[in-house]
Amino acid sequence: MRVSRRDFLRLASFSTLGAVACNVFDEREFIAQSPVRLPEDLVTGRDNWYATLCRHCPETEGLVVRVMEGRAKKVQGNPLYPTNLGGHSVRCEAGLQALYHPDRIAGPLTREGPRGSGLYRSIGWDEALDNLRGQLDRSDRSAVLTVTEPLRGSLAHLVSSFTSAYGGRHMAFQPMEEATYARVVRDVLGQETMPTFDIKNTQFLLSFGADFLSTWTAPVQFSKGYGEFRQGQGRERGTFVQVDSRFSMTAANADDWIPIEPGMEGKLALSIAQVIISEELVNEAVIRAMTGGQGASALDAFAPNRIAQQLGIPPLRGRGPAEVIVELARDFARHGSHSLAIGGGSAAAHTNGLFNLSAIYALNFLVGSVGTEGGIKFNPPPPISELATTLPPATTAEWRRLKGEIDNGSIKLLLFRGVNPVHGLPADIDLRDALDSDDVFTVSFSSFHNETTEMADLILPDRAFLEDWGDDIPQPGPGFEIVGMQQPVVNPLPGMSPLSFADILLRMAHELNIDSAAPLDKVTFQDVLKDHARKLHQLDRGSVREATFEAFWNRLLQQGGWWDEGAVATASLPPSPNLVDIANQAQDPRITGSRDPNTFYLVPFQSISLTDGRGAHLPWLQSTNDPITTVTWTTWVEINTAVAEVIGLKEGDFVKVEGPNGKSLTAQIYHHPAVPPEVISIPVGQGHTSDIRYSKDRGQNTLSILGLPLDEETQALAWASTRVRITKTGEREPIPKFEGIVPAFRPNEEDAIVKVTRG
Amino acid sequence: MANEHKWGMVVDIDRCTGCQACVVACQAENNIPINEEKDFLSRRAKQWIRIDRVWEGEWPNVKARFIPILCQHCENAPCEPVCPVYATYHNNEGLNVQVYNRCVGTRYCANNCPYQVRFFNFFDPEWPSSLWNQLNPDVTVRSRGIMEKCTFCVQRIRRAERTIEGQRGEELSDQKLKEGNFMPACVTACPTDTLIFGDMKDPNSEVSRRSEDPRHYKLLDKLGTDPNVVYLKKVDPHVVEEAHD
Repeated sequence: MRVSRRDFLRLASFSTLGAVACNVFDEREFIAQSPVRLPEDLVTGRDNWYATLCRHCPETEGLVVRVMEGRAKKVQGNPLYPTNLGGHSVRCEAGLQALYHPDRIAGPLTREGPRGSGLYRSIGWDEALDNLRGQLDRSDRSAVLTVTEPLRGSLAHLVSSFTSAYGGRHMAFQPMEEATYARVVRDVLGQETMPTFDIKNTQFLLSFGADFLSTWTAPVQFSKGYGEFRQGQGRERGTFVQVDSRFSMTAANADDWIPIEPGMEGKLALSIAQVIISEELVNEAVIRAMTGGQGASALDAFAPNRIAQQLGIPPLRGRGPAEVIVELARDFARHGSHSLAIGGGSAAAHTNGLFNLSAIYALNFLVGSVGTEGGIKFNPPPPISELATTLPPATTAEWRRLKGEIDNGSIKLLLFRGVNPVHGLPADIDLRDALDSDDVFTVSFSSFHNETTEMADLILPDRAFLEDWGDDIPQPGPGFEIVGMQQPVVNPLPGMSPLSFADILLRMAHELNIDSAAPLDKVTFQDVLKDHARKLHQLDRGSVREATFEAFWNRLLQQGGWWDEGAVATASLPPSPNLVDIANQAQDPRITGSRDPNTFYLVPFQSISLTDGRGAHLPWLQSTNDPITTVTWTTWVEINTAVAEVIGLKEGDFVKVEGPNGKSLTAQIYHHPAVPPEVISIPVGQGHTSDIRYSKDRGQNTLSILGLPLDEETQALAWASTRVRITKTGEREPIPKFEGIVPAFRPNEEDAIVKVTRG
Repeated sequence: MANEHKWGMVVDIDRCTGCQACVVACQAENNIPINEEKDFLSRRAKQWIRIDRVWEGEWPNVKARFIPILCQHCENAPCEPVCPVYATYHNNEGLNVQVYNRCVGTRYCANNCPYQVRFFNFFDPEWPSSLWNQLNPDVTVRSRGIMEKCTFCVQRIRRAERTIEGQRGEELSDQKLKEGNFMPACVTACPTDTLIFGDMKDPNSEVSRRSEDPRHYKLLDKLGTDPNVVYLKKVDPHVVEEAHD
């Protein structure tokens, strides 16, 4: 039958009408597509979220990681994990880039060229582990040193057991270490575990030098409390004062920032104490106890009108320095046990750091905020003894001694895991020189080439933290018992063959027959963790309670850890320190470097993204703006805007910054309206030379120009006690920063973007 | 069901510390290319949410203020009427939507946005091949010539609709978004709970309640853009009020 075009159209229209009239088709059949829903609906696969821990920096936040088709896609805070309650930092997010970094080492390497040349040959794991075992077997065991980051939990237990069973030594490395703070925690607060601060319930927070919202100790945990401290429901807004020789991100958030001459924080604390005592703003019995009965006369030498001029405090809002101190002391005392004084960072990094921190933390005893709500909150020991081991960082003085030991042949085999001391130690120690010797054999477990790895004879790449097992006792904890769990959320990519450092240690223990006791009797680190989890299971309390161990283990991993909010510190409060004793230790900082024109105090700092340099290879962290200057991808020198104009330095000018050790660095000027005129600040973390595309030859290493000033008591690096000279080089380039080039506001031009109110 | 919601955000500046966690979280969730040094130097760095730092005062009485700024999802959005191809429009859930495959790259919308939160792809985005593994499969990678901006993580809202409304037959709420991990990436990341997201149409939602806080204001309010992002003022006990209000 021949059907004309006209016939076809007629038939087609009848059949469509019929179909509609008979309601044969569902209405949705007539919708060609859903433009809004279509893109998401096309995604195949199902996502899963796995709980684990962030191992990028010491805070170790609880995380949940989105995994889709075997690839990690997104890192978020674990909302259940008590220390960070779902929040996280920029650094956690970048864990994904450590996992999928294009320059990650794929498998074991053995050195081919001279040390530092970066010439390596790929080898198989059998050959690599045979080589390691041979080295461990042949070496004089007392000449073997394992260097790791500070360790806690099961890994600390394993490393410590291995080291003592094998007969070698262990040292933990942390650049800009907090040994002075750790000493004060032990000596003044009487604690073996790190305390936390109940910022959420504090009413008056006084911080000396601690950049606690950015990088100091546990910034995410403290930030959680800070949000509530400011605008928590059912409470009055807390007041926050930061005493700091640098305008840090934390200082920027304070209601009052009190600039101070570097190293004078302890004297200011004693001056505050003097006002509180002389005006009898606290209980008389407390005053008697803390002054050995001397009362008001005990601290006369620190009366504001006597020492205010020494402290370098400028006039603030029309008040002179003595007036500022008196007002501060009255505010601090008025809030009683809901006042909190904390100190660390640059306040501790002086030759008199221990005195500074002792005086600062003593203020809490004066107002009764030790072990109370809104004050210093102590943490209990871990729930099982196997998790109680901690391997804290060695002091800078110990590293200096180590250099001598390597040089004189006492140390011949070094194993480095998770650290880069060639970059992170002051240049004056020159660890690189010590490792550049044919008498030394160096093994690195790093996943990336760095300045230490480049000196290694053998590289055994570790798993990324998102591929590895682990656990953690957070330091500081949340105020009750907690064990965090880390599980592999993905397998390594095809072509990558990393091996867990902990599994290698266990294998070496077996092959060398060095011990058969726990934990070295286990085959894998997962077995060690399970062994410890069994003991947790047997406690039958806390956030995970199950009838069988298998169910307990699954819930433990699902939840990201175990905690028991009822298991708090039970030890009695430490005795109050004697303020007279502290006052007797009072001393000014010894500043290294001259006071000639064009010299400044150097206050180095850890940037929020790169911290001490461990994040420099990750592009998200390189491209994260510094919160204050908005500078990225380089090293910069923060100098007071007015001072820079007087000495003719424009933004972007390259200056030579020369330290007291004769070494120098070159970096660009950033005009900063809030840097004290006598100070310059430079971030640490850049200056890497290894062949990693995002960090190589970016900026310079600030730690190289410090010299070796040490705290006289704790022998920690006094990294904020240096004066440096700056000289113009004559070169200038635009500085990579995010902020615009037009000032944000001009008078009467626009409404302020940030609106401000008194309350 | 969709038109029963009006998504909005409250930003409490008094909680914000400027820590940048939201910025990187957004970058990770939304496949924003790596901002390289040259991007900062040419002022083409992309940050769908950024933290502006504003100086006030002079040494030593100087303050730095932080304010997170993202697309305000304006009810009267200046970017919408100027688009010749309807690539940007206001949907019935309060979102200012950018349809990438309609965009022809005139950049009129970016010119007209007073908040400077729209970003143009002058080049194709590039990642080393191994970093492709981290890209979010829910979010289109924008090619050269396309305008992009904050979507309030619409892909998460859609997932929430499919999961909570479509599969469970329950209504969306702030609490369910939070429990199901469907909040925008910046909100989830924020360690001080500065950012609060939710349904402005739900009178019981936290975002509705907090948007009535006496400290509330809208950014550049006098322009009449009627944003769906509400700010809560910074509190400063020492502020000189005349200078600001």
